[in-house]
Amino acid sequence: MIINLIILLIVPFLMAGVIKKTKAFWGGRKGASIFQPLHDFIKLMKKDFVISKTTSTVFKIAPVVQIASVLFASMFVPLACGSALINVSAGLIIFAYTLSLGKFVSLISAMDTGSSFEGMGASREACFTTIVEPAFFMLIASIMALSGNFTFDSLQNILASAGNYGVLIQIFAVVVLFIMILIEGSRVPVDDPATHLELTMIHEVMILDNSGSDLAFFTWANSIKMLLLSSLIAFIVIPQGLTEWMAVLAYLFVMFIISVIIGTVESAMARFRMSHVFEFVFLMSSFALVVLALVVARMFGG
Amino acid sequence: MNSFFTSLIILLLCGFIAGKFSNKFKTIALSVFTAIASGFALVPAVKVLFGGENLVQTFNFNSLFGAVNFVIDPLSAFFIAVISVMSLVTAVYAIGYLRPYVEKGKNINAHLVFLPMLFASMQAVVTCQNAFMFLICWEIMSLSSFFLVIFENEKKDVLKAGIKYLVFMHISVLFIMIAFALLSIKAGSFDFNSFKAVLGENVHFANMIFILLFIGFGTKAGFVPFHNWLPDAHPAAPSHVSAIMSGVMIKTGIYGILRTLSLIGTPSKSIAFAVLIISVISALYGVLYAISQHDLKRLLAYHSIENIGIIGMGIGVGMLGLAYNHPVIAMLGFAGGILHVLNHSLFKELLFMGAGSVYIKTHTRNIELLGGLIKSMPKTAVLFLIGSIAICGLPPFNGFISEFLIYLGMFKGLSIHNFSTVILILFAIAGLALVGTMAVLCFSKAFSIIFLGMPRSASAQKVTRDCELSMILPMGFLALASLAIGVLPIFVFVLLLRPVSVLTPVMQYNILPTLSVVGVITLYALAFLVFVGVLVLVKVKLTNGKIEMHETWGCGYNRANNHMQYTASSYASPFLSMLNPLFKKVFDVEKPRKLFPQSAHFSLHVEDIEEAYVIEPILKSDEWFLSKFEGIQSGNIQSYIKYGLIFLVIVIIGSLLI
Repeated sequence: MIINLIILLIVPFLMAGVIKKTKAFWGGRKGASIFQPLHDFIKLMKKDFVISKTTSTVFKIAPVVQIASVLFASMFVPLACGSALINVSAGLIIFAYTLSLGKFVSLISAMDTGSSFEGMGASREACFTTIVEPAFFMLIASIMALSGNFTFDSLQNILASAGNYGVLIQIFAVVVLFIMILIEGSRVPVDDPATHLELTMIHEVMILDNSGSDLAFFTWANSIKMLLLSSLIAFIVIPQGLTEWMAVLAYLFVMFIISVIIGTVESAMARFRMSHVFEFVFLMSSFALVVLALVVARMFGG
Repeated sequence: MNSFFTSLIILLLCGFIAGKFSNKFKTIALSVFTAIASGFALVPAVKVLFGGENLVQTFNFNSLFGAVNFVIDPLSAFFIAVISVMSLVTAVYAIGYLRPYVEKGKNINAHLVFLPMLFASMQAVVTCQNAFMFLICWEIMSLSSFFLVIFENEKKDVLKAGIKYLVFMHISVLFIMIAFALLSIKAGSFDFNSFKAVLGENVHFANMIFILLFIGFGTKAGFVPFHNWLPDAHPAAPSHVSAIMSGVMIKTGIYGILRTLSLIGTPSKSIAFAVLIISVISALYGVLYAISQHDLKRLLAYHSIENIGIIGMGIGVGMLGLAYNHPVIAMLGFAGGILHVLNHSLFKELLFMGAGSVYIKTHTRNIELLGGLIKSMPKTAVLFLIGSIAICGLPPFNGFISEFLIYLGMFKGLSIHNFSTVILILFAIAGLALVGTMAVLCFSKAFSIIFLGMPRSASAQKVTRDCELSMILPMGFLALASLAIGVLPIFVFVLLLRPVSVLTPVMQYNILPTLSVVGVITLYALAFLVFVGVLVLVKVKLTNGKIEMHETWGCGYNRANNHMQYTASSYASPFLSMLNPLFKKVFDVEKPRKLFPQSAHFSLHVEDIEEAYVIEPILKSDEWFLSKFEGIQSGNIQSYIKYGLIFLVIVIIGSLLI
């Protein structure tokens, strides 16, 4: 429990720091320290608020509900390769629906300002979610069907339960989850976290009117979401049977690698045009379908 | 059992008595009577639900009916409980909703007779076990709800929608009649119990009967492709009537399907597959069209189709469990489906009432004209928000619990080692996830366009105060019930096992694992609620006095007005453009012309593809065919008598030949 809390408090910010550092490296700059996002967070928490006159109570409560939903959802994810805090069958559903609650609240909070920018961001965010979530469900449910174990532990057992197909399924699952990180974490090529205005108009524009601790909560929640999905990747990739400390180290290493890859992708690519973003999102669903096909082939193909 | 019939009699008579009161007290009298009747009906229902024996009352009618059994088994008891509580809530809400109409001098006496009659007929439908009597109750239910729908009968589109509803109901009852006729000929009696033996004999016969009854009951429930009456009838009806129709009446269709299943016993695999597929399609279709609607009540009506689909998915999973002889899967599926019946009636009534309150205050159902109502109607806004979160199936509200049980059933269903089952269930899981996220899109749209931002028209601007207490109270009750089920699901789950046991045997070793998962959810939801509450309090405490108010950030532009806000159409547009071929879009565009454009407008209307490509062509050809017979209708009484005579002669000759 305490290790989980520490991880949730520090690692998301460090990941954001590493991503920024990587971008600076590829850009030939020195870049800020990897602790900068953490400092930003603490600074924001101390600040006062400027709130739009148009907004209502929804706007004030939304960041709190968002952060609560993300923190509660994290209880179902095996962080640091231990077991999840709550390890029940179909925990996937509680996990995903709790995150959805946070998303719902952040959508209406964006709409509460009456700004057309934020409306546009909310509309696109809601639209992407409709495609991402079913693909995620399909992926995880397929893997669970394979092992007959309906907890996230089944991700760890892919190699054991899938035989020859194991490596393939692992690769595709990692790719799907990585694309999902880019979409949900609003990274390039879907969204650009470095700009706040005209260029992106997805997640970053939704929090345009938030300030002070509200903004801090939203950024933190977003980083935690990325961390949770990365933890699933780590859970798939890291082999079983390591000692506890080795597992934690391996986990941190995987987090580091993922951040570096995200940073590299951001340096190497430009943001997609909006119509291409949809294609990118659908790419994720197609890969999830590939996993489904592989699983079915393994189960019934002999 | 006597108290149940007392309740029916009170309901049948009270409308006439309430009409005798003075205008001000009519609706109040009706609520009082409904409250008494609900109390009487709840007594036997609760007794049976908490483990009492089935209650049976037999009436011996003439040779035509045979013995008429009214039975309260746990399944009926569950539906009675839902119907009586919802009836009471609806009647109380009607006090406030009908007041403006009464003040304008509208005569509501007929309405006051048909409303309790609808309540009574629904109670009778879920208890009656005689096919003939069942059809009579079913017909009373359809007709009384028809008269309730056409409350504002001076409006032409209301009448049109009402007649469409009437036609659909009679097509549906036709299928039910055929099925019952076939059954009773084979069984030699109208009693449901005697059907059981007949259905057990021959699988193909049972399948055929199930399909007929599914079409009949499914039309009432609103499964795609028999859903078409719903999005027309609900907007036409006054809000408390839409609430009771969408929340409770369409569930009698679900009851019919469940009752059929309990008679059939083990359904065949192909039927279970078909039900699951139709349900997934209904759920997706409903929510897809809901997203494209701007008429709030039409939007909610499409959501009823979605939720019926979700209930159907539960039933489908349950049937798969029965067909493959997996009691755990069957238990989870049916429990999820039946719980969703209750949940949907709670939050859908809440949302329809919210829509009614908005309509009473703003006189429009078009959400594009609303906005900013959270400031003038804060209570209604919060209650509507609770309903929205609940209908999206998000924790910690009740919709999540039933969807979770259905998901759990589907996950367990993956262990059925059969190629097509696994594929179907994987797609159904993804389908339910898609439905969930689309519902989030739809209700984040609906709630934020109606209640948040700035008012988009004068009618939304003019609202000064919230609705009266008699409208807030029932909504508050429903919202509380939604929260209670979401936070304490373990108690509800235990109660659910009684109705489920009618359909599939419930054993202790079956339910223990599920019980522990539901227990975890209970703790989780409670902790979540407490955590959010504490966090909100801390935030309020810490931020007091540190807030500065300012204009919404517009990139330096400080004169943003209400027309620059995002609208419902623009909110839904990226999603809808992605799924273009699934809609028939009707544009109405006037582009700005010349140097100084005088006027310009743009509007988009999305038509139901089934309506546009199936029903309208049929109606057209129907009209062409029927117009050939126009000559018969001469308006001359003598010739009508002649037709009657000819008909009688044909009947006599026909009966002689047979």
